[in-house]
Amino acid sequence: MTTASEVLSSIQSAFPGAVIDSRVESDLRLWATIDSKKILDVCKHLSSKHSFDHYSGSAGVDWIARNEMEVVEIMASHGTHKVVAMLKVKTPRENPSVKSLTGLYWNASWYEREIWEMLGINFEGHPELYPLLLSDGLIGAWPWRKDFKGYPDLTTGERAVEITTPDGYTEYRFPPTPAEVEAGTVVVERPKYPTFQEREEMAITSDSEMIMHLGPQHAMVPGPFLLDVLVEGERVKKAFLDLGYIHKGIEKIMENRSWLQGITYTDRMCYVAALSNNECYCGAIENILGLEVPQRAQYIRVIVEELSRIQSHLIGTGEFLTLIAGVGFAPWQYMIMDREKIISLIESVTGARLTHSFVRFGGVRNDLPEGFAEQCKKVLPYMKSRTEEFIELFAQDPIYHARMENIGSISPETGKRMGCSGPVLRATGVAYDMRKEDPILVYPDLDFKVITGTRGDSADRIDVRLREILESIHIIEQCLDRIPSGPIKPEAKVPKKLPAGEAYYRVEDPRGEMGMYVISDGGANPYRVKVRGPFYATFQTLTPLLEGTYIADAVAIAGSMDGCPSESDR
Amino acid sequence: MLKRKMIKNFSWPLKIATQEIEITRLYPEKMMELPAAERGIHELDATICIGCGTCARICPNSCIEMVHYKFGSPLKNKKMQFPQIDFGRCMFCGLCVDECPVECLKMGKKVIMAGWERKDIVKGPDFLATKKFSAKEVADLEAEAKRIAAEKAAAKKAADAKKAAVAKKPGKEGEAAANGAAKKKAAAAEAKPKEGGAA
Ligand code: SF4
Ligand code: SF4
Repeated sequence: MTTASEVLSSIQSAFPGAVIDSRVESDLRLWATIDSKKILDVCKHLSSKHSFDHYSGSAGVDWIARNEMEVVEIMASHGTHKVVAMLKVKTPRENPSVKSLTGLYWNASWYEREIWEMLGINFEGHPELYPLLLSDGLIGAWPWRKDFKGYPDLTTGERAVEITTPDGYTEYRFPPTPAEVEAGTVVVERPKYPTFQEREEMAITSDSEMIMHLGPQHAMVPGPFLLDVLVEGERVKKAFLDLGYIHKGIEKIMENRSWLQGITYTDRMCYVAALSNNECYCGAIENILGLEVPQRAQYIRVIVEELSRIQSHLIGTGEFLTLIAGVGFAPWQYMIMDREKIISLIESVTGARLTHSFVRFGGVRNDLPEGFAEQCKKVLPYMKSRTEEFIELFAQDPIYHARMENIGSISPETGKRMGCSGPVLRATGVAYDMRKEDPILVYPDLDFKVITGTRGDSADRIDVRLREILESIHIIEQCLDRIPSGPIKPEAKVPKKLPAGEAYYRVEDPRGEMGMYVISDGGANPYRVKVRGPFYATFQTLTPLLEGTYIADAVAIAGSMDGCPSESDR
Repeated sequence: MLKRKMIKNFSWPLKIATQEIEITRLYPEKMMELPAAERGIHELDATICIGCGTCARICPNSCIEMVHYKFGSPLKNKKMQFPQIDFGRCMFCGLCVDECPVECLKMGKKVIMAGWERKDIVKGPDFLATKKFSAKEVADLEAEAKRIAAEKAAAKKAADAKKAAVAKKPGKEGEAAANGAAKKKAAAAEAKPKEGGAA
């Protein structure tokens, strides 16, 4: 089994002097600062020699006091070993620039685009460094830099000014006005790049092609995003995706909130998976604090998180099936009704139905209520028989088969290369599950299978989700049998200020791999929180998947991803 | 026949409109049973709130404002400041409840809070308080607070006088002056809570 220290010594021997600074946190976590000239070679070495074939994402950090910026590349492996390497590359704050990893990892593209638009770090060799989440007006303001003043006035941070017109109407003036920018009285340096529309038009090569809008309010993924397809006849030749319609800047907001207040923001990244977001944030902070979670609290967390997975899969599947003709409409109603039962179970513990703010540093907010186990024993067997019925129902519906089978198929290699995770990747047959990869909570003691599919098509993705519900029920049943009595919170009070440090923590969200990279500088607020969301990664795979398919299948493909633009736009 | 029908068309809505009817029907028609852990509208035990403002500071949405309220305990809450919550902004996260040092803020099972205007859903301590003192109890408590404050002041004075006497003995000018300053400070510190108690 490869360990972090082995990986480190391998890099050191292959590239003497490339590792500037390093820290082996545990067998599974390696932190290393790599010479910016060698980063590409180091990554190549890691992927070829140590099967770091999973580029998990990257984070940009603005170290304004040290006058430098940092890009942290998060690398892992698809099951060969469990080491996560956090490779840092430093660059000066003036004209920050690092080498792009897009040549090595296809899915680095979106992460680097995001860092570029938010922090202004240039990526040398990136083929399409265009804005992804921000509107064009904000490009050049680098809003996530620590010295960002504010919006809409980028120079002073002045807010919209309310003015009353002579007729008595209220109008808002957004400084600086376009006229002012034009006249050059305010200096707003904007990088040059083709706009989204121009990029689309560039792709049109003949008169028989046209651009078709699917979105921003299309029902195939709840939440707004723009999907434009370039079609020739019924075939999609190229797809264009634009997000950022509901970008909330949660990562930046959290920098201005206390550690505890941050929990409430994690709820709102993806409201159907609020509990795993809570878990991810709190887990990272427990790592920084070195807090041990009491056994009972760990079990409670596992129980509610698995319940949350069930309800998320139910709504994800149900909602999607309404878009697919045939058997589609009936299960939606049943699934949503069954989901209410699960949500009521969660509510009886957490006190809220969707945004739970339940997990706390080193514990949980409430204990299980009286009679919770009995209630579960009523609901879970029912849920189990219902899920089995659903699986059977879909297996025999010819229309469902025609619309779903071999539609949007992903091969295991493509799935790995594209960096998707969760049910989408597992449907291709790759058993990659954070609950097995990262030994968090009591998951290592529990018996459960990682559900995988065989074809990686839309039908398989639904099937994996439904069978995961059965597995979650199995996990909860074990937890209820084993849960010990005891405290649910740490004995000592959690301090208001965290010691300086950093942590990367991963959980298996209903949609896949969710990681949070949290940096503390010893203050009362986080210095940086980076959320590596699962759907952001999956979303990126949508455009290549759509190429060459029929327009009518776009819905089946996009919908079966079980998307949540709210989380990719976090 | 038709005429009668037409008249009915008018009279029926009139009849309905003048009767007390539900304007919006509840759906599901029966309100579901809420669990004990439900995080609904806050409940304040005004008899033990100490007015520390921790809840106001921790609230991520800044929806809590500390306002004056009569029916609390002047013994514990010297300035008689109690939380007022803007439910238009509250997201029912429960952080205020968790951080309250004396556990006087709870969340209950009441969840309906609609109002016609924005200010209707800003609820003061009077609405939130599930436990409060009557006017008479407050008056008694105030008297008690005054008495205690007076007693304390007297005790302090006596102690200070003693200290001053002790300090005077060595007969050093500087020390006596320093003592005098300290005494003034102590007196000022005492005067403050008294004012608060009376307010
Ligand atoms: S409710 Fe609790 S936290 Fe808020 S002022 Fe009163 S005692 Fe302090
Ligand atoms: S529940 Fe949360 S949002 Fe509401 S008042 Fe308390 S701290 Fe503020």
